[in-house]
Amino acid sequence: MGELITLLVTCVLINNVILNQFLGMCPFMGVSKKQSSALGMGVAVVFVIVVAALVTYGLYYLVLVPLGLEFMELITFILVIASLVQLTEMFIKKYSPSLYKSLGVYLPLITTNCVVLNVCLINITNAYDFSHMLVYSVGTPLGFALVLYIFSTIRERLDLSSVPKAFQGNGIALICAAIMSMAFSGLAGIV
Amino acid sequence: MIKYILAVLFFAALVLIYIGLYLMNKKTPLPEGCENLKADCEGCHDYACLHNPAHKEKEGN
Repeated sequence: MGELITLLVTCVLINNVILNQFLGMCPFMGVSKKQSSALGMGVAVVFVIVVAALVTYGLYYLVLVPLGLEFMELITFILVIASLVQLTEMFIKKYSPSLYKSLGVYLPLITTNCVVLNVCLINITNAYDFSHMLVYSVGTPLGFALVLYIFSTIRERLDLSSVPKAFQGNGIALICAAIMSMAFSGLAGIV
Repeated sequence: MIKYILAVLFFAALVLIYIGLYLMNKKTPLPEGCENLKADCEGCHDYACLHNPAHKEKEGN
């Protein structure tokens, strides 16, 4: 149990996908201008990553390994993620219009989010058992959502402050991201 | 040899599943009030993304 808690804390705070591994930078910069959109993207990413990790893990150990097709993992996972995003969007469109209103625009963007593929591949390469896979697949997108939300609150404040012209926009945002990355690296001592 | 045939069949099945889901998703009507949803995104360097304003500029031209 202690090992699972350590894994959760590690993937949320210490080995954060954005600030430590520099993955998912496109949505990090593109969808962090408003708190509401950052929250919507965060929730959508958590949902898709958890479902994608469960499906790819099952597919790898129940289909690819018995058939000796382990070399197909990359192409399989890419197609599974793309299909899952389509399926998720279709179900949300049909059964939850309110959720679609808040997430719908961001759902197709998740197909190009490399964090999803990273989680699916890490689950296999690290040979996690089911409980470790589940904790890692929940913790990583939670870390993504947390950082995305914190960064969106910083960017909203940046819009109200006077920034030198040369640093306005993405320049000052990247400087803030670098400072956040250094701050998060300080959490490495807690585990 | 059988392994490679299985690989091709498995790949084809996955592609067919994706195409099927894509078409089904496209045919599913949008909920009321969601016809003109817009992302709060001014675009990054991912030009493959449908929300990138570069696509709207092309349509305008």
